[in-house]
Amino acid sequence: MSIQEEKLLSPGLSAEQLTVFESGNEMAAMAAAQINYHIMGYFPITPSTEIAQYLDMMKVRGEHDIQLIPADGEHGSAGICYGAAAAGARVFNATSANGFLYMIEQLPVQAGTRFPMVMNLVTRAVSGPLDIRGDHSDLYYGLNTGWVILTARTPQAVYDMNIMALRIAEHADVRLPVIVAYDGFFTSHQKRRVRHFADRATVQRFVGERPPVAPHVLDPAKPVVIGAYMNGDDLINNHFQQSEAMRRAGEVFLEVADEYAQLSGRSYGTLDLYRMEDAEVALFLLNSAAESAKDVVDRLREQGIQAGVISPNTIRPFPAEAIRNALRGVKSLLIGERADSYGAGGANLTHEVKSALQEDKNNHTIVLSRVFGVGGKDFYASDAEELFGLTIEAMERGYAETPFDYYGHQPGDAGKKLAPVVEPMHGSTFKSGLIQVNVNEETGKLKARIPPLRALTDKPKRIASGHGACPGCGIFPGLELFFKGIEGDVVTLFHTGCAYITTTGYPYNSHKQSFIHNLFQNGPATLSGTVEAFFERKRRGEIEVPDDFTFVMVTGDGGMDIGMGSAIGTALRNHKMIILEYDNEGYMNTGAQLSYSTPIGHMTSTSGVGRKQQGKPFHHKDTPQIMAATNIPYVFTGTEAFPQDLVMKAAKAQWYAQNEGMVYGKLLITCPLNWKSEDRDGEKIIKAAVDSCFFPLYEVERGITTITYNPDSKGKRAPLSDWLRYMGKTKHLLKEENRGLLEQFEREVERRWEKLQARHESPFL
Amino acid sequence: MSMLPHKNELGLYEIRLESIGGLGANLAGKMLAEVGVIGHRMNGSNFSSYGSEKKGSPVKSFIRFCDADVEIRDHSPIEQPHVIGVFHETLYKTVDVVNGLRPGGIVLVNSARDFAQVAQDLNLRTGTLAIVDALGISVEEKTRVNTAMLGALFRICDFLDPESMRTIIRKTFEKKVPHLVEPNLRTFDRGYEEVRFERLESGREDISAFRRAEPLLGYLTQEAGGLLSVVANSVLKDLSGSRQGYVPEFHVDQCIHCAACDTVCPDLCFVWEKRPDKKGNPQMFLTGIDYQYCKGCLKCVEACPTDALGDLREEHGYAELHRTPQHFAYVSGGRV
Repeated sequence: MSIQEEKLLSPGLSAEQLTVFESGNEMAAMAAAQINYHIMGYFPITPSTEIAQYLDMMKVRGEHDIQLIPADGEHGSAGICYGAAAAGARVFNATSANGFLYMIEQLPVQAGTRFPMVMNLVTRAVSGPLDIRGDHSDLYYGLNTGWVILTARTPQAVYDMNIMALRIAEHADVRLPVIVAYDGFFTSHQKRRVRHFADRATVQRFVGERPPVAPHVLDPAKPVVIGAYMNGDDLINNHFQQSEAMRRAGEVFLEVADEYAQLSGRSYGTLDLYRMEDAEVALFLLNSAAESAKDVVDRLREQGIQAGVISPNTIRPFPAEAIRNALRGVKSLLIGERADSYGAGGANLTHEVKSALQEDKNNHTIVLSRVFGVGGKDFYASDAEELFGLTIEAMERGYAETPFDYYGHQPGDAGKKLAPVVEPMHGSTFKSGLIQVNVNEETGKLKARIPPLRALTDKPKRIASGHGACPGCGIFPGLELFFKGIEGDVVTLFHTGCAYITTTGYPYNSHKQSFIHNLFQNGPATLSGTVEAFFERKRRGEIEVPDDFTFVMVTGDGGMDIGMGSAIGTALRNHKMIILEYDNEGYMNTGAQLSYSTPIGHMTSTSGVGRKQQGKPFHHKDTPQIMAATNIPYVFTGTEAFPQDLVMKAAKAQWYAQNEGMVYGKLLITCPLNWKSEDRDGEKIIKAAVDSCFFPLYEVERGITTITYNPDSKGKRAPLSDWLRYMGKTKHLLKEENRGLLEQFEREVERRWEKLQARHESPFL
Repeated sequence: MSMLPHKNELGLYEIRLESIGGLGANLAGKMLAEVGVIGHRMNGSNFSSYGSEKKGSPVKSFIRFCDADVEIRDHSPIEQPHVIGVFHETLYKTVDVVNGLRPGGIVLVNSARDFAQVAQDLNLRTGTLAIVDALGISVEEKTRVNTAMLGALFRICDFLDPESMRTIIRKTFEKKVPHLVEPNLRTFDRGYEEVRFERLESGREDISAFRRAEPLLGYLTQEAGGLLSVVANSVLKDLSGSRQGYVPEFHVDQCIHCAACDTVCPDLCFVWEKRPDKKGNPQMFLTGIDYQYCKGCLKCVEACPTDALGDLREEHGYAELHRTPQHFAYVSGGRV
C-alpha cells in the first residue's frame, strides 16, 4: 500500500520533513537508505529481520544503492561488515538475540581496531529456553564490547539516532562502532506517527562525506596492516585509547545531538528525564517501558505523588554524572530491568547506577532493583503502578526491605501440574517388522524391502496431532514418511525452524520420544555428542537400552546454511546418526528470507521482484553433493510425492546409521504460505519439481551414485515452467521479459542433471 | 474539536481485531490506522500480537486513535476496546474474542448467521452486535475477507472518511492489477452497506473486566530448564479454528484404503483400524477423519485416486457430527 505523506515545514527549522505512519524497523531502514551506506552484511533473525527486508524492497524500487549481502550466519555478517569497513566503506548491520551472541567475538575486533560502523540491535531474549520476543538479555552482552550504545524508545528515536550514530562513530575523537538498540516488537513493529526528512540530501549533508579518520586497505600508495598481534605492554595502551575514545563519545553525542536538534526540532540528552525536576520517587527504565511509565507518572502526580521516570539515551558511555545529578533529590528509585545478571543481586544497569551514586557522598537515594518483562512479557500501566508502589513503600519505610527481586513471576497452582496424556511409546510400538534391509554380497549395496503403505498405517506416527503448522505444510508428510522407514526407538534433535516451533510451544509438544532442540548453527555437533555419550555410557554399563537406537537430526535449509560447518565437521567424524533436511527454499520461520537453497529468480522477502531486481540473483546450493563430498556412507534425496522411494531410503539410512556412520538426506517440501501456492497442490508441486529434474531423486551409497527415479527414461520429463507455474513466488519467471533468467535457471538444472547422470553411469565419478 | 466519539482515560479510542493468520486482519488494521493518522491527521498506533504464529493460528491486531496533540506512550495490548472486529467466526471456540469490551462497545462479526445465534456463541449480552457476511461477499466478488471487513469497520468508525479508503484501494491495485480495482471497491462498499446492527439489551452494562490469560505453570510447577516430561500433549489441542470454510468429506464406500491421503496429510488426521479382510487376513482400513486436527488444506482430496474424498463447504456442526476420533493410548486418569 502506498503511504500518503503529508508535507510539514516547521518554522525555524531548516529542513523539510514528512509525516509517515511507520514502525521502528521501517525507520531504521529509512535512515540507512537515506544515508546510502555502501555495504550491509546481514543474516535474518526475528525481530530485526524486517530491516533487511525493507531495504531489499527499497532497493527493488531503486531508492538506494546499498549492497545487501546475505551472509551464512551472523558471524559471517559481522565479518562482511568488518572487511568492508577495513576497505573504507560505510557499513550497516542489524541483528537480535542469538544472532548478536553469534557475532559477538567479532564486535571487540571492530571496536578494538577502531573501525566505525552502525548496527541496529533489535533487542530480544537470548535462548534458552528459546523465546523470540523482546527483552534486554542480548543488549547486556554488548556492554563490554567497546561499542558506543544508543538506546531508542520510539520509532522516531530509531530514525533520529540512526542518523546521529554515524556522525558519532566517524567523529575523529571517537572512531568507534555504534549500536542503536531498541525494543523488539514493542518499538520495532509498532507503527507510530513519525517524521523524517523529505530529501535524503538533508541527511547526507548532516552525516557528511566519510571523514578520512580510519585508514583503509584500498590505497596501494599507503599500505596499512590491520590487526597486528600485541602483548600486554602494548595492549594496555590500546585499551586506554579505547577507553578515552568512549569517554569522548559522550561529549560528541551531545554536540551531534545539538546540531541535529537544530535541523530536526527534536533534541536528545544523554538522559531522558520525565518530570524529574522535583521527583521524590522514580523509575529507571530502559527503552519502551519508560514511555508506558510516563502515563502512570501523570496519574500519580494528580494524586500529589512526586513521581518521575529516568531513561538513558546512551548506556555506553554510561551517563553517570547526569544520573547523579538527576537523582540528587530522589528519595527512592526502582531500577526495572528486562534481563538478569544471575547471582549479581541485580542486573547490569542496577550496579552501574549504584556505582554512579556511590561517588556522590551526599546521595541517600534508596535503590531497588526488579527484573521484569523478560521474553516480551507485556508491561502494562498497572505494572508501572505496582513498581511505583514498591518505590513509595521503600521511601516511607526509609530503606529497601527487598533490594532485589523479580516482578511478575508466579508460583503456579500445584493442582495444575502437567499430567501425562498419552502413554509413552517405545521399542516394539515403533517396530512394524515389515521392513527388511539386507546387504547384497555381490554389489555391496543394500536392498530394502518395504510393504505397501497401507500396511504401514499400523505403525504409529512419530509426531502427535495438534501441532501448529500452517494448513498444507509439507514438513510433516515428509518427516512422517521418512520415519515410516525407521524401526524402533529414536532420539531426535530439531534445529530452530518451523518444525521445531510448531511442535514445542510450551507447555505443549508434539513429540512422542525424546527430543532436543538446539540453535541452528550447532545441531549436528550437538547430536554427535549425544550419540557418543550413548555408546560410552552403554560401554560402561550405565544404561540398558537396545542397540538399535537411531539418532536423527532434523533441520530446515536455513540450518544447513548457518550450520554447514557443524554438519561437515560431524560428517567428517562420521558419527552414527542421520541428518535430515527439509528444504522449503527459504528461511520460512522468520518470514521467508532467501536461503542459499532458494533457486535463482525466486522471490523471497529479501530477494524481491521489481524494477531493479528479479528475485534471487544466484543459484541454489547443491547440499547433497556437498555432503557426498565428505564421503559419508549414505546420502539421499526424497519427497512425499514418491513415497515408496522415500520409505526405502529411510530404511537404508537407518541401517547405515546403525552400522557404518553418518547419513545425510534432503527432502524437498512445500511451503504454501511463502511459495504463494494453493494449500492443496503441495504434492503435485513437489512431483513437478522432480519431473523437471530440479530435484532429482537419487542416492550416493558408499560413494556410488544411483538415480532412483529418472523422469527422462520414464517419459515424464517436464519443463521447469510446469513446476514454476504453480507458485506465486515464481510466476514472474514465466513472463517474456524474464526469459533470459528462466533460461539461465534451465541451463543450470540441466547441467547438474547431466553431471548426475554421468555419476549414475560411472562408479568412479 | 475532537473527532473521536469515545475516549478512555488516556484519551485513546481503541479497536481490537481478532483473526487467524492469513485472513489479512493485520493489513486491515494497518490501513484503518493509516487512514486515521495520515488521512485525518489524528494520532494513532497499530501493531499485532507477535509470536511464532503460523497461518491459521489466532492473531490480534490493535489500533489506537487519539487527538493529534495527544502522545501515545502505551505499548501494551488493548484490553478494553471500544470496538472488536472478529474476522473468523469460529474463533470463539478457542479464544475469548469479546474479552474486556467496554460498556456500550461494538462487536463486529464476519458471519452469515443471525444475531441471536452469534450473540449466544460469543456469550455477548450487552453493547452492539454488528454482523456482516464478509466471507460471502468476498466469495462472490472473488476478493478477500479483510476488504469487506474494512468496509464494515469504516461504517462503525464513522469519524473516518470511507472515500480515503477507496482511494487507497484504487492506488493499491490500479498499477499492477487494474482488473481488481472494481471488485475490491465493490467488496469494500458492500461491507459498508450490508453490515447490520443490533443493540443487545440486557439491562446490565457492567461488563466484566478484561481477564488476562495466566500461564498454566509457575516457578513451583515448571520443571527446571523448561523441560517437558509430559510428551505428545498437543493431542489436546483443537485446530478446527484454522479452517477457512472447507473440510474434506469422506465416503467410506468409495475408499480403497490405499493410504495416499494419509501420506500427504500434514495434520495426521486419518484414523485407521486393523481388522480381518475378506480372506480373514489382518488388514488396515481407513475409518474416518479426526476433524479436531484438520486445518482444511484439502491435500488429501487431491491425492485420493477415487471419489472417497471430496471438498465440502463446512456447515456449522458438521465436523463434530462426522468426526472419527483418533484412538491414542490415553493415560487413564490423564487429562483429556
